[in-house]
Amino acid sequence: MPVPATRKDLMIVNMGPQHPSMHGVLRLIVTLDGEDVIDCEPILGYLHRGMEKIAENRTIIQYLPYVTRWDYLATMFTEAITVNGPEQLGNIQVPKRASYIRVIMLELSRIASHLLWLGPFMADIGAQTPFFYIFREREFIYDLFEAATGMRMMHNYFRIGGVAADLPYGWIDKCFDFCDYFLTGVTEYQKLITRNPIFFERVEGVGIIGGEEAINWGLSGPMLRASGIQWDLRKVDNYECYDEFDWEVQWQKEGDSLARYLVRISEMAESIKIIQQALEGIPGGPYENLEVRRLDRARDYEWNDFEYRFISKKPSPTFELSKQELYVRVEAPKGELGIFLIGDRSVFPWRWKIRPPGFINLQILPQLVKRMKLADIMTILGSIDIIMGEVDR
Amino acid sequence: MDNQSIFKYSWETFPKKWIHKMERSEHGNRSDTNTDYPFPLLCFLKLHTYTRVQVSIDICGVDHPSRKRRFEVVHNLLSTRYNSRIRVQTSADEVTRISPVVSPFPSAGRWEREVWDMFGVSSINHPDLRRISTDHGFEGHPLRKDLPLSGYVEVRYDDPEKRVVSEPIEMTQEFRYFDSASPWEQRSDG
Repeated sequence: MPVPATRKDLMIVNMGPQHPSMHGVLRLIVTLDGEDVIDCEPILGYLHRGMEKIAENRTIIQYLPYVTRWDYLATMFTEAITVNGPEQLGNIQVPKRASYIRVIMLELSRIASHLLWLGPFMADIGAQTPFFYIFREREFIYDLFEAATGMRMMHNYFRIGGVAADLPYGWIDKCFDFCDYFLTGVTEYQKLITRNPIFFERVEGVGIIGGEEAINWGLSGPMLRASGIQWDLRKVDNYECYDEFDWEVQWQKEGDSLARYLVRISEMAESIKIIQQALEGIPGGPYENLEVRRLDRARDYEWNDFEYRFISKKPSPTFELSKQELYVRVEAPKGELGIFLIGDRSVFPWRWKIRPPGFINLQILPQLVKRMKLADIMTILGSIDIIMGEVDR
Repeated sequence: MDNQSIFKYSWETFPKKWIHKMERSEHGNRSDTNTDYPFPLLCFLKLHTYTRVQVSIDICGVDHPSRKRRFEVVHNLLSTRYNSRIRVQTSADEVTRISPVVSPFPSAGRWEREVWDMFGVSSINHPDLRRISTDHGFEGHPLRKDLPLSGYVEVRYDDPEKRVVSEPIEMTQEFRYFDSASPWEQRSDG
């Protein structure tokens, strides 16, 4: 839709790869007519690290440290999908306790990711205070992760067939304390932000996406749910053990940045609900399907037989991917994260294609900023919630 | 309508010259087609009432150097209405050009740019075909199997020239290939 130009020459401004909001290295070339935006062109590729080609030369267990670097704020999801692929290829069952631990970790990671979306989003709009508040809560999550996995951010926790280590003693009680504390934190954000008139002025009606348009452009995650489509892979696909908990899909109807904000805030509260239910119901049992580590899976030996070989500490690198193709997906906090995996009867995958949610969600940016003012670009870009680590891979 | 019934329905309704073969497996259904036909096939899938595949999730290129038509372009599709997924695959070699699917699926624009950039499979009449992930002066198509993992050039900042220069790569240690011949016995049945 052509916007009437008020001047003869349009100004082309480069919002360069480095800019202060924490979206990563994204370059936007914006064509301006005064304050109105005529067009905006994102240029990607500044953080391309060749993750897909590296994957063709590493076994799954060797590749796990790389995957947390795609979406470095919601790291458990990338790990979850990396192990889900081979698990589905090899039809490996995950024990119940491992599934519950995974769900707890995934939901904690979702909260962490939404928190670190909220901080820079508010900082882009102009509110400096939430940026500090979110780190306070995120530090608690980091502490929980560090106690369970050993690392604050780039945990190498998920394994094919379960998780790497069991939860330490007392972790569950600490997690309960965190859940109770976090609910008060969410009310604090509601009081500070959601009823703030300045926030409403900046965010309401900005960047509206209709439901049909959202589906056409392939959006997923909170962007889709804020436009009125109740599509959540956790409900639709029923992976891990999400169907054993009682929770609702959070969605809004308007499709503007305010709706996306509300969806993410309520998703955080919903995740706490899921975590609490999971913590109450966590079963005992093994935390890893140790059969995966058993060598020589072709010949089925009896346990403790003379020829039954089992290495307990080091995982066997010979987990062979069969010659099949598979598309596996999870509901990451940013959208639908997917891996298209082609195995080749060897330990290395033949093709490992990462389908990042941010890559697709970013495509709609030039559409959305066309009639907006310059200051709205940052609001819209913030509400799309992209991480360049996964967009560029 | 679930996954399998969409698959069976479309197998019966498609014009036979569009598809080579269709395969169903527990890991997802796929259909193979010729290079001229992804566009009509995908339009059909998108608009037809009983398939309503509205979302192009992913377009992926795969390189099988041993085949004559070495590249395979895979379209992963999703129908939110019927909650089912389907894959459409096309084979191409280095000079075949495939038809772009940008008009039914606007989100495919960047995927096709990436397939061009990484593999060299270009599209006819694509509105915007340029490189997306590689560096501005990069030669070659990275995800082909004949380009080594470390590439051919490395970049460094050159102080006398005050800019970044590309030079042929200098490997300080030999390329460590993590060979699958492990000290443990192989898992395969052979």
